[in-house]
Amino acid sequence: MTLADLKEQFGDPTPAELQLIAKYGELPEDARRLRAFEAFAKNGLPHRRMEQWKWTDFRHAIHAIETGQPRREKTIEPSDDALVFRFDGKSWHVPQDLPDGLSVFEKSEAQAVGNAEELPLAALAGALTGQSGRADLLQVEVTKPIKQPVFLDFDYERLETAFARIAFVVRPEAKVDVIERHAGGAGFSSVLVEFGIQDGGHVTRSLLQSGGAEEATAITAGVTLGAQAVYEQTALAFGAKVARIETRLAYEGEAGRAHINAAYLPADGYHVDFTSHVRHGAQSCVTRQLTKGAVNDGGRGVFQGKFHVPRSVGQHTDADMQHQAILLENGAEVYAKPELEIYADDVECAHGNTSGQLDETALFYMRQRGIPHMEARALLTEAFIAEALETAHPSVRDSLLEASRAFLRNEA
Amino acid sequence: MLKLDNLSARVGEEESEKTILNGLSLEVPAGEVHAIMGPNGAGKSTLAYLLTGREGYEVTGGTATLDGKDLLAMEPEDRAAHGVFLSFQYPVEIPGVPVMTFVRTAMNAQRKARGEEEMSAPEFIKKAREIGGILNIDAEMLKRPVNVGFSGGEKKRLEIFQMMMMEPRFSILDETDSGLDIDALKTVANGVNALRSPERSMLVITHYQRLLDHIRPDKVHVLAKGRIIKSGGPELAEQLERDGYDGILGEVA
Repeated sequence: MTLADLKEQFGDPTPAELQLIAKYGELPEDARRLRAFEAFAKNGLPHRRMEQWKWTDFRHAIHAIETGQPRREKTIEPSDDALVFRFDGKSWHVPQDLPDGLSVFEKSEAQAVGNAEELPLAALAGALTGQSGRADLLQVEVTKPIKQPVFLDFDYERLETAFARIAFVVRPEAKVDVIERHAGGAGFSSVLVEFGIQDGGHVTRSLLQSGGAEEATAITAGVTLGAQAVYEQTALAFGAKVARIETRLAYEGEAGRAHINAAYLPADGYHVDFTSHVRHGAQSCVTRQLTKGAVNDGGRGVFQGKFHVPRSVGQHTDADMQHQAILLENGAEVYAKPELEIYADDVECAHGNTSGQLDETALFYMRQRGIPHMEARALLTEAFIAEALETAHPSVRDSLLEASRAFLRNEA
Repeated sequence: MLKLDNLSARVGEEESEKTILNGLSLEVPAGEVHAIMGPNGAGKSTLAYLLTGREGYEVTGGTATLDGKDLLAMEPEDRAAHGVFLSFQYPVEIPGVPVMTFVRTAMNAQRKARGEEEMSAPEFIKKAREIGGILNIDAEMLKRPVNVGFSGGEKKRLEIFQMMMMEPRFSILDETDSGLDIDALKTVANGVNALRSPERSMLVITHYQRLLDHIRPDKVHVLAKGRIIKSGGPELAEQLERDGYDGILGEVA
């Protein structure tokens, strides 16, 4: 397929889409790369007429891709012992000394993207990696429990675009703690992180996203869990012009367990979207999902969660999905779509979805004691958000709370 | 100290609008403790909320000043910084915020507003321990989120704990005796009495005389239908206990 054919496929491409087509044209030809790009090209930049993107319209948000501005004021730092993997927007920088049980492979050809059709921006990441001419995909193999956290630092300095892909293969009984810092800095970015967790493997993932008010960013995780494998994800997001943080998880062995917790704090002009899809494709798996948000005037939060429990393989599923939002000011927007799609008959599935305002009585009580209104609001909101961040890795838990605190006091 | 002059207020909007204070005048000089008694619906709690700046009340006339400063023009937190403290009839739960964090944040916010130095952590902890000892509040309770899972008596003791920590110049105690057994009542009264001083005043709102046996007021006022209908010494409280509000109301009418 030629570039002209691709352009044809878009119908009426936007300037941003033309830029992405040009990026694709610069890369070496590869059948798998083409397939991934075609999955993206089918609908182009996701937009509101697509059901899964009705509240998060990338096409509308970015007309043309421009240079980004990193936002480092609300952030987390790697602990002293952390293994820092830095992605500068083009290349990966990996520590020289890696502990026993952790190996890194650079794959220099494009690799197929799973569920590409349903994850157009992850497919795009898969198609456009390798801009440095080196690694298209960084593969990390974990063969035993690793003490030090792996810190993935997505650190862009005024770039137009950034596309990264990293995959963890976690062998049976191995364990790794992954921490991700996404500080923005690219006008348009898409990161795909994959976790293949084999029987009895264990992954924790803690993530902080912040980005510029003119940036568009997508962070997608694809997770598969073997028997008795554990996945614990905790994310805090401040958003960008549009930010989509998506998790697609599938249980493939019995008695897997996952926590998917998130907090979002979009300010005026910011948009955060947490979307997840969990497939209970094996018996007796347990999912706990808690998403909390607090939104300022002009900010927008989106939560879309789906549990899919197939007929026979999904028996004895135990799954709970909670989404709670606080609209801090008039003009805040929250959109939520919790979905349970259950075909098995012996399961325990629950979901809850609330949005409201801070308790006026509590605010008055605090002000009566001398706590100024903003501070009272911040304390209450922080306490509300904190529950969703409790599962974060100990080395960054406090900084995540600190980042929320600074945000809620308008210090950042 | 506190001066209310012909204060009138209403609550609610349009059709549900209701006058709740109707030309209330009252003066509490520095160093004195005054009690306000009255039947249900007399406007006792309204008065407490109005003086502390809770939303939902509209002042339709009159003035309220503390040391000559217009209280009604201030935000609730500014009133607190000026030394106004309310011991709530129904203390509010604040999930996720431990008592120690809450009280320290509040005290430092007040100090900051007054241009004073923050209290150091060791100084704060020492004082909290001392006052906790007087009120039977142990360290465990101070670590728990404010009022969450507290019994009625614990909540009231925590109000007095905050009052003793903050040392306000003007305290309003709104039905602090409700929900307290006799031992807790004595504990609370001891705490309140410990704060009495020539620079401080208090307004004790209560239904019954029993609290006033332990916190001896300088004056007692009877509030009914939104204004003070009778004032007197401590003996007035005893008369109320004996004859009930109907007696007094009949007498005045």
